[in-house]
Amino acid sequence: MAVYASGTDGTMRLDRTRRLLGAALGILLLTVSQASAAENGEHPTLFTGDLGNIIWSLLTFVVVLAVLGKFAWGPILRALQKREDFIRNSLDQAKKDRQDAQARLGEYTEKLDAARAEGTAIVQEARRGAEEVKRKIEEDARAEGAAMVERAKREIGVATDTAIKELYSVTARLSTDVASRIIRKELDPKEHQRLIAESIEELQMLSHNGRDKN
Amino acid sequence: MEGMLLAATSPLDHVYQWTYQRIGIGAGDSVFTPGGQITLVSNHIVMQIIAVLLLVLLIPSFARMRLTGDTVRDLTPRGFGNFIESICAYFREHVARPVLNEHTDRFIPYIWTAFFYILFVNLLGLLPLEPVTRGLVRSVYPDAHHGVGGAATGNIWVTGTLAACTLCMIIFNGFRYNGFAYVKHFFQGPIFIAPLIALLEIVGLVAKCFALTVRLFANMVAGHVLLAVLMSFISLCYVGFGAVAATGVGIIVVLASVAFNMLEIFVAFLQAFIFAFLTTLFIAQAVVIHHDHDEAPERGSEGPAAVPQ
Repeated sequence: MAVYASGTDGTMRLDRTRRLLGAALGILLLTVSQASAAENGEHPTLFTGDLGNIIWSLLTFVVVLAVLGKFAWGPILRALQKREDFIRNSLDQAKKDRQDAQARLGEYTEKLDAARAEGTAIVQEARRGAEEVKRKIEEDARAEGAAMVERAKREIGVATDTAIKELYSVTARLSTDVASRIIRKELDPKEHQRLIAESIEELQMLSHNGRDKN
Repeated sequence: MEGMLLAATSPLDHVYQWTYQRIGIGAGDSVFTPGGQITLVSNHIVMQIIAVLLLVLLIPSFARMRLTGDTVRDLTPRGFGNFIESICAYFREHVARPVLNEHTDRFIPYIWTAFFYILFVNLLGLLPLEPVTRGLVRSVYPDAHHGVGGAATGNIWVTGTLAACTLCMIIFNGFRYNGFAYVKHFFQGPIFIAPLIALLEIVGLVAKCFALTVRLFANMVAGHVLLAVLMSFISLCYVGFGAVAATGVGIIVVLASVAFNMLEIFVAFLQAFIFAFLTTLFIAQAVVIHHDHDEAPERGSEGPAAVPQ
């Protein structure tokens, strides 16, 4: 109804729609007529074919099967099998290697631990030995020092005793000497002075000599 | 009348088999030999031959690239050889091995061949060769209506032959590996229904292969018809609404048909895969029979190569 209401434009549209429908119908009719014509062997259908197609299909398929089977599928299949084996072997080998490595790692870890313990023991042993030696050396040195001091003291004591004894004997001799001289002659002060100086000088000489002897 | 003119090429023209030459073989008129003749040359047959030439020339050369003698190089495929090998390895590991087990390497060449044969024929069918080759064909066959082009797998005789090969493989290998047990496994259940089950099993077996035939055929036809119908929208619009509308629709249609062509490339791979995949399953069902009853499975483990060459 809307088509008639819009006047000329609507009529044109109706005309187009009619033509479109006509074209579609034409295609349909032609297809049907072709299909029916094909029944007479004039025009092919979807199912056109005969023994020739079977023979050709079989022939081409078998040729492909034979040629590719010989020149393509064989090498490809071998390559696939080879790769499969290669991968399987590689994985097996890798697994084995890893197990070996694990075992060896354990072994080495053990060895390393043992070596470390041994090293520590050696070092401690050495340290203990060194301490021992050190203490011994110190003790020896101390003992020797003490012995030397002792000996020096003893020698000093001996020298002192000798010197005192000598002093006593000299003093006694001088006193005797002085007394004898006083008794022998009267002494003037001048002479007295000279005698004293002489005695002191003698005493000094003696003491010098004594010291040198020591 | 304009409609009739524009529709002079039906969308189905692209999928028909156009016979160029037929020869008499001295047989009577039948479905297989209409008029006592068989087709010698047709667009589909030429496409099949082109596919075979490509397969035979290309794939072995890629396979040979591997044989350098160098261990590492031989184990690491590159380039197109890698593409081929990835597909082969996928079929072997993920399609065949789970069902065929130890028989995998015996049947895998057949499975690979089925896949690549169908794939190449499918993909060649997507090339718009027909307008290009029409002149060439007419120089040989002046009466030829159509040039060389189209998918040979859109021909039910071709897909039927391939499925028949699979059927032969199933039955032949079923007998070879299981012998009498193969026949026996058709007869299951109590004795009075076993013949019925066997009948159903046999019908099922044939139906499986018939389904293979029709699945590939219908998918290939549908894709090509769809593309042709899409294109016909342009002429319909031109007739109905004029040049401007036809241009507008044409842009959309061309974009859409690019997308559908992508889809068709995918379908070409998918259908080849499905055919090879189901072939593998069906062969496995015949070769590796699962015994539900107390009988121990008997399998012929050794024998000649599985591939009938």
